[in-house]
Amino acid sequence: MLKSFVTVLLREMHIVLNTSSRVFMPIVYLLLIITFFSISLEGTTVGGYENILPQIIWLSCLLVSLLNMDSLFKEDYEDGTLDGIVINSEILEISLLAKVIAHWMFTIIPLVIVAFSTNLLLTAKFDVSIILLTSLIIGTLTLSLIGSIAASLTLSLRGNGLLLSTIVLPLDIPILIFGTSAIYNASIGMNYNSEMLFLTTLLVLFLIIAPFAASFGVRNSLD
Amino acid sequence: MRQDKEIINNYSLQIDQKQKYNIYGENGSGKTSLLKIIAGITEPTKGKIHSNPSFDMNKDIFYIGHKYGLKNELTVYQNLEYALNFANNDDHSSIESELEEYSMKRYINTQVKYLSHGQKKIISLIQLTLISNKLWLLDEPFTGLDKVKIDLLLYKMDKHVSNMGSIVITSHNIKENFDNIELC
Repeated sequence: MLKSFVTVLLREMHIVLNTSSRVFMPIVYLLLIITFFSISLEGTTVGGYENILPQIIWLSCLLVSLLNMDSLFKEDYEDGTLDGIVINSEILEISLLAKVIAHWMFTIIPLVIVAFSTNLLLTAKFDVSIILLTSLIIGTLTLSLIGSIAASLTLSLRGNGLLLSTIVLPLDIPILIFGTSAIYNASIGMNYNSEMLFLTTLLVLFLIIAPFAASFGVRNSLD
Repeated sequence: MRQDKEIINNYSLQIDQKQKYNIYGENGSGKTSLLKIIAGITEPTKGKIHSNPSFDMNKDIFYIGHKYGLKNELTVYQNLEYALNFANNDDHSSIESELEEYSMKRYINTQVKYLSHGQKKIISLIQLTLISNKLWLLDEPFTGLDKVKIDLLLYKMDKHVSNMGSIVITSHNIKENFDNIELC
């Protein structure tokens, strides 16, 4: 069971190493969105732009993480490797969870590190940047788990990106609220523990639900 | 059922050890669907698959469909290595010799995306002999292969069957040395 988890993880790592654009393109896109926000909001925000920058970065990370979510199972579906995973997995849920974790580790985590560095460089607030980093680590993993459910359900549909976003975005709202609230509270010196606790609870909840739901979706799409 | 249309009805198939079956029929007769049902990829609307207690539906089946089951971004070696890892086989020593046998050794470090369709098919078929699961399910395995490769594949199939294996293939016509089963 653990071996198939590790095998999926290592295979995804090799794919990412062989195609570096999967890591760099989302980072470029994130930096572009942050730049566009900076240009459009410069001089219009009361109290300075740097006060709302962490929230902008959080929202940008959410939007960028949505962009490549449809490819989570799509490539495996199109090249036939998903058939092999379904046939040969002792527990399909474990293999699908490994795919989600791999996607998060090799595509989203570099994005989170860049987001943290950008916030630190532009605001010079280390304590707020650390909360941004922590909330993004917890939040983006939850977003990936939610995305995996939608990706599995829309697997066999052509041009599934828009439908996937429509399914995922409403479910992402609580994570966005708690994530940005935690950063706001940290920036004004208030307690942010309850927001972080809610984010962690949502992560645990989707860690339990998502593999089963994704497994159902994948089997249904292959039917 | 396909889009609410019945494609296979009142059908029974027994797969025995040391047997090669060829399910043939015209386009849309349900050959691929039947193979997917046997493989456990698709659930039948009605009916069941029964297997011998010694047969593990997760470990003893190898299925190759119309898609090759290879990652384009990985090299030939990496693809075969991961196929073996998924099958819990840590012995990677036979990869090179198998590639040599199919005259594909020079592509060992080539990314699969740079191979032709025929070459991709050969790599996907090499997985069969490397992993050697008891039951091979092959959807039109000879399509896209040249005469030499077809003969080699037939030889590998005979060898597998003589080692207590079973093979089910699909095609559009009757095949020699196979138990031919028509699907109408």
